[in-house]
Amino acid sequence: MTQTQTPPGAVTFDSSEPSATRRVVTSTAFMIAIVVTVLILLFGVLSPNGVFLSAGNFRNLALDSAQLILLAVGMTFLVGAGELDLSIGANVILSSVVAAKVITFVGGTPEEILAGDYSNAATAILLGFLAAVVTGVLFGIVNAALVNMLRVSSFIVTLAMMSAGSGIAYIVTGGINVSSLPREMQKGFGSADLFGIIPIPAVIAVVIGLVAWFAMTKLRFGVHTLGMGSSLRAAERAGINIRRQRVKLFVIMGGIAGLVGFIDISRFLTTNIQGHQGDALAAIAAVVIGGTSLFGGRASILGSMIAAIIPAILINGLVIMRVGSFYQLVVTGVILLIAVGIDQRRRAQSK
Amino acid sequence: MDSGFPPAEHSAGIMPVIETRGITKSFGHVQALRGASLRAYPGEVLALIGDNGAGKSTLSNVIAGVHSADAGELILRGESVNVSSVRHARELGIEIVYQDLAQAPDLSVVQNFFFGRELLVKGPGRLIGQVDEAAMRERTKEAMSLLGAQVPSLTAPVSALSGGQRQAIAVARAVMWATAAIVMDEPTAALGTKQTKMVYDAVRAAADRDLAVIFVSHDIPKMLDFADRIAIMRHGQVVAQMPTAGLQLVDVLTTMLSAQADASEGEAA
Ligand SMILES: Nc1ncnc2c1ncn2[C@@H]1O[C@H](COP(=O)(O)OP(=O)(O)OP(=O)(O)O)[C@@H](O)[C@H]1O
Ligand SMILES: [Mg+2]
Repeated sequence: MTQTQTPPGAVTFDSSEPSATRRVVTSTAFMIAIVVTVLILLFGVLSPNGVFLSAGNFRNLALDSAQLILLAVGMTFLVGAGELDLSIGANVILSSVVAAKVITFVGGTPEEILAGDYSNAATAILLGFLAAVVTGVLFGIVNAALVNMLRVSSFIVTLAMMSAGSGIAYIVTGGINVSSLPREMQKGFGSADLFGIIPIPAVIAVVIGLVAWFAMTKLRFGVHTLGMGSSLRAAERAGINIRRQRVKLFVIMGGIAGLVGFIDISRFLTTNIQGHQGDALAAIAAVVIGGTSLFGGRASILGSMIAAIIPAILINGLVIMRVGSFYQLVVTGVILLIAVGIDQRRRAQSK
Repeated sequence: MDSGFPPAEHSAGIMPVIETRGITKSFGHVQALRGASLRAYPGEVLALIGDNGAGKSTLSNVIAGVHSADAGELILRGESVNVSSVRHARELGIEIVYQDLAQAPDLSVVQNFFFGRELLVKGPGRLIGQVDEAAMRERTKEAMSLLGAQVPSLTAPVSALSGGQRQAIAVARAVMWATAAIVMDEPTAALGTKQTKMVYDAVRAAADRDLAVIFVSHDIPKMLDFADRIAIMRHGQVVAQMPTAGLQLVDVLTTMLSAQADASEGEAA
């Protein structure tokens, strides 16, 4: 540090910014990474022959957590902005149903499809993918438009949309899952691996997560998102178009839900209209555990991504140890409570 | 009626930075402003005083683009302007410090300084709205040292700072951005002695940069000492505007509270 010359009478301004290392080490993302590492090592030691630490098992973990990572990334923007989306499970279902319908419609004759033999597989899958994402985005736009128009909290609006969305999925399908989708989408995408070991859905989740991290921390978009979550009034006074920002945020979440819907049918080759009930809460739990404040204003994309692996680790580890996987729900609940407690303490401290 | 206003020291033809003419504003049945006319000159601190509910905040908010006037004119450097929003007022160089500061507590000092008008990097990152943190931090540092204001950290969230520090940031931010005028709505309410002095120093520094500062306050004795001129509001009108030099507290109180005071009486004081 060199002493700079200041004109007489001027007061030198000095402030000390925490170093980069200090910021990383004190971040919630870092702490949650330690928790995850400890969990992995613990299961590694406890599992018979250390199978938990095998490459194959890591592949399973990556594949199983990809969808929750994606949903948690989208949810981080919303929670950071002081919004919530409880309808993402319904969005995932509806997007996957629309995609599956498009794929079976375009793919070939009913007989061919029943035999799982698609004459137009490639076109059908591509159109199905587009249909899923477009449906997801439209779902998000409806959410945002309702919040903007009704001036009701997104909690209530998306609660209603959760019901409406899954209702529409039931109506479209008549309550029967669309199955026997083309195997190509599983082999080429849903269960495919990069370099023979890294599942494609996990690669997509990580890439989208990194893009989201950049947007949150380096772009004006991220500052406006967190500013809006911190004080809606301040954001308004700063001339930020809150309603438009809200539309963007729900579009991101919706688009991600659509992508997750497509990944889901690619993995299992069938829709799952009875499933995804817990998606929204699992994503919100991961977001809060990862260090995002439930009240908005502070968010950590990386924290959400790391925390989103926890349920998969617990389920997988407990199954390997032959303990019922339902304990996973209990453990996740406890971790969530701890995370909320930490968030509350931080708020109290900074007051 | 406003022709009787020009104070002696500005009769040499200096143009006001901001002038309001006959501004009216109603909220439902409440007539908050009934033809408020006021002038603020470059380099001066104009104290805006008046009883509770006289319309000081409403007039401040009209000038800063928060409210739009029902009728009347806002004149910026001789030109009539139609300020449609806070953003628009800012583009015209008018800044406001709200009584509640309107900061985003979770954002850092730097982010609050530039909230809504972030500096972007040069190069391709600009197209996607990448912010230039280093440049913003530098400018914030400059603005803070200009005021002699101190904060422990520029990257810590504003919520971690004391009330006085937050106030200082709000003032420093307004001073940094303003190119014409700053409106401050009771910026020293709820501040300690030392912090109050800091704000007064900051306001004076802003005026010395040739900005017009409109300073809403209830501390009349202090205003007589600190401000260059004083504008007194009653029932939604500015009933008197005059230089503070030689002015007695009792005269001000009489004008402020008397039933039938008008502009010419105030001028004569
Ligand atoms: N948003 C609003 N809605 C309804 N009435 C309002 C609103 N803002 C102000 N008023 C009314 O307008 C009148 C003037 O209010 P204003 O806040 O401008 O007074 P003030 O001079 O700033 O008073 P104080 O010294 O108490 O801050 C008051 O009667 C107030 O009740
Ligand atoms: Mg007021």
